[in-house]
Amino acid sequence: MGVGNRELVQGTLEMLVLKTLALESMHGYGIALRIEQVSDGVFRVNAGSLLPALSRMERAGRIRGEWRSTENNRRAKYYTLTAAGRKALEQECRQWGRQIAAIERILEA
Amino acid sequence: MLRSLMAGLRALIRPSERNAQIEEELRTFFAASVEDKLRLGMSQENAEREARAEIGSREMVRHNIWSAGWESAVDSFLRELRVTARQLRKSPGFAATAILTLAFGIGATTAIFSIVEGVLLRPLPFADPGRLVVLGDTVPGISMGSNGHIGVTMPQILTYERETRGFAALGGFEQAGYEFSGAGAPAEISAARVTASIFALLGVAPLMGRTFTQQEDDRSQQVTVISYAMWHSRFHADPQILGRKIELNRKTYEIIGVMPRGFEFPLIPGQSDQSRLWVPLSPTPDELQEAAAWCCGMVGRLEPGVTSAQAQQDAGRVAQQITRNFPAYMSSQRIGAKVRPLAEDTVAQARPLLRILFLAVAVVLFIACANLAGLLLVRVIRRRREIAVRRALGASGAALLRQSLVETLALSFAGGLIGLGLAALAVRVGISFLPESLPRVESIRLDWHVVLFAMGTALLTGLLCGLAPALAAARTGVNETLKDGGLTGSASGAQARLRSALVVAEIAVALVLLIASGLLLRSFEKLRDVDPGFRTDHLLTANYRLPQTQYSRQVAIDTFNSTLLRRLERLPGIEAVGITSYLPASGMVRNSTFVADGYVPTEGTEVDIAWPSSVMGDYFRAAGIPLLSGRLFSGADNVKAPLVCIVNHMLAEHFWPGQDPIGKRLRWGYPKTPTPWMTVVGVMGNIKQMAVDAPTQYEIYQPSSQLMASYGKLVPPGLLNAQAGSIVLRTALPPDSMIESLRATVLSIDPQLPLTKVHSMDEALSRTEAPHWFNAALISSFAAAAVLLALMGIYSVIAFSAAMRTREMAIRIALGSQRADIVRLVLISGAKLAVTGVLIGLAGAAAASNLLRSFLFQVSPFDLRVLALAAIAVFSLALLASVLPARRAAAVDPNGALRGE
Repeated sequence: MGVGNRELVQGTLEMLVLKTLALESMHGYGIALRIEQVSDGVFRVNAGSLLPALSRMERAGRIRGEWRSTENNRRAKYYTLTAAGRKALEQECRQWGRQIAAIERILEA
Repeated sequence: MLRSLMAGLRALIRPSERNAQIEEELRTFFAASVEDKLRLGMSQENAEREARAEIGSREMVRHNIWSAGWESAVDSFLRELRVTARQLRKSPGFAATAILTLAFGIGATTAIFSIVEGVLLRPLPFADPGRLVVLGDTVPGISMGSNGHIGVTMPQILTYERETRGFAALGGFEQAGYEFSGAGAPAEISAARVTASIFALLGVAPLMGRTFTQQEDDRSQQVTVISYAMWHSRFHADPQILGRKIELNRKTYEIIGVMPRGFEFPLIPGQSDQSRLWVPLSPTPDELQEAAAWCCGMVGRLEPGVTSAQAQQDAGRVAQQITRNFPAYMSSQRIGAKVRPLAEDTVAQARPLLRILFLAVAVVLFIACANLAGLLLVRVIRRRREIAVRRALGASGAALLRQSLVETLALSFAGGLIGLGLAALAVRVGISFLPESLPRVESIRLDWHVVLFAMGTALLTGLLCGLAPALAAARTGVNETLKDGGLTGSASGAQARLRSALVVAEIAVALVLLIASGLLLRSFEKLRDVDPGFRTDHLLTANYRLPQTQYSRQVAIDTFNSTLLRRLERLPGIEAVGITSYLPASGMVRNSTFVADGYVPTEGTEVDIAWPSSVMGDYFRAAGIPLLSGRLFSGADNVKAPLVCIVNHMLAEHFWPGQDPIGKRLRWGYPKTPTPWMTVVGVMGNIKQMAVDAPTQYEIYQPSSQLMASYGKLVPPGLLNAQAGSIVLRTALPPDSMIESLRATVLSIDPQLPLTKVHSMDEALSRTEAPHWFNAALISSFAAAAVLLALMGIYSVIAFSAAMRTREMAIRIALGSQRADIVRLVLISGAKLAVTGVLIGLAGAAAASNLLRSFLFQVSPFDLRVLALAAIAVFSLALLASVLPARRAAAVDPNGALRGE
């Protein structure tokens, strides 16, 4: 895991991965890199939590993995969002939005 | 869902493929990370180091990916199972003892359960069996047996059918024997006459053809429906059977249907008397006049919404109506009606026996379980060091608990499987030894209920036995265990107490079972000692029944009987020959009301009941019943002579105490029945008419030729007498050697007439004793097993605690203790356990006394001899089991034992 506030909020990893894959299919390291870049380095995802999460989501049918070659002619496992994954993402985003709003209300009260 | 299942299964079956995938993904991740860092300007070396640091422990990542799927739980369970198997292989003695102990306990329990399930628990094989009931009369003053009713009479069947309102359908039946010919050798077969409504009411359709109609029943059509067994045994399962003609009592019947396999009706105990075919009841006009012969039974299906209590009330109303319409001579007779569930009626008799068997077998299982728990505890204590090391290396208590439980569950699963095999064997072999008093024997088999029961019991036993030892293992303290070396010193107090308590409980329940077995054996011995009142040795008996078609006139019957007697008398090796209407001690119930001249009945006794016998030939000498006073019947006591009878001693004593009974008079029926008097000409010794273990009854004998006359005007014209009977032969040679000449003699008179139940009296008696023998033998073998297991238990506890105290013993000897003192020390610890167990066991036996009482014959459940003998036996055996460990402890070499530290 990263240092200090770089820890991911519990349970959000799957949502972030799904969101990342919604744009295009990517391999494991690409996903980690994208999350780090988009969050301006706030979140860093390491292999120890990302790869098990990918494996779990693949089992659940939310993403589909297939071996392809990269731009540098290496082989890597590319993950693509499935229809079920898209639905799950929408649901989680909605859930997340509700939770954030609730937390904000509590903090502002 | 399905995808996850398939992927998991694939990972389980090909773990290397899955691992390779994980490995490759990790590698590409690493490579991509390095590439990225190179692009940022890092040196190759730094980039690789950085990337490796970011990923962290590869082993951990791999493990996490694995754990993401459900298969990882299965995988770790399998790994634990492999460890368990390895550990058990290392101690084969322990594994074998544990598995066999369990297999034995579970096998016995399962075998008995399969009987209980087949007989008691499985619903009757009829449609909606919960709504089926039996209807029968209750008659004050007559023993109704365990069923609480005595059935109904032929005319009542019609009345109940017509007048009751609480039944959707009601039908009557009578069990009957028929001489069967037309396929194979002539034989006497059991059958049932049933009303046409019975099949529809039971809701069972025939396998082939049809059942008979109301019309056929009303018109006495000669049609028959045969059983599946009959179809197979007599007709080789001929598919063209319908329409075939057979002879029953030498009348032609047409086969119109075959019932499916497993259809039994009426549901009667035992296998030998099951109905092989069914014919319409079609009562004859004569039978409809017999208002006092309770020959039949009735079954009904309750009207929806009607309870069996309401139906009984309804039937009671009809019973009162029947009572009011009794013929004048029966006017003092009262009857009531009883309605009870058919299932209840079928198994009522068998219930207590099965309950006691089940309890006995549960005791054996309990002891087996206690032994297993003891074994497991010992194992935990022996492995304390190993467990402590594992704990020290980081194994959690939960992991150790799981490991122990996996071990016991593996053991119990193996034990359960073997036990199931044993049970299957026992049921297959043992079913023929089941007593004839058990109903529904056909439905006893190992079905999935039984399998479920066996495996459930196995796993439950495993859990129960394994829990305490597993907890003990999980709680093992690391420090103290490793400090004292794990094997020396005494085991922890709590564990030792638990094991002692187990052994005490084993001894106690084993003693209860042993006492039960002793009591049953004693009562069996008493039963064998009962004097039946006649000589059972050198006695050959056989039954016959003359078919009405050929013997439609009394002359023909009389000629047959007298010819038979004459020819048999002339056979070499025959001392005396007689024929009686009913064989004594054959389990048959006969009740006839009678009136004794000059006797004023005491208050409350409504009717006097005697066992009637009509005899021919030299019956009394043949049976060996002693004449106490007066004379036997002679040829002069024929149809035209004055009516005479012979009574037994008990009747003479009761009705004419202190007087000479010779010359007194008796007649059949009730005080108002117009029957003629019979003069008593002789008094015979009491004999056991119904069964050896039944109380002696009043007995009245009369010459067969005078039977009709003694019924006076009640006898409808044309009724025949003596067309059935039991031949009684007193032989000089062994009775079995006379069977062939007996058969030949009968066939020389009527070449088609079959004889049934041809055997020696001794054999017949041992058959009626069979249920008692079965109880005694089964309970005794359970008791033997229980005692043996309990001894194993006490031996292992004493041996183990002695082994644990080796160092203590060595020190004692080194300090000058005598070896005899050591032996005494160990023996006393064994004796303490034994005494406690015996005392608790005696209390338990007292508590179980009520349960046992109904199985005992002339033996009190508190029979001192049995109690003392069993207690002493258990105590001394327990002491004996402690002798070996005691001697071993005393033989310890103090030098070796102390230096071996």
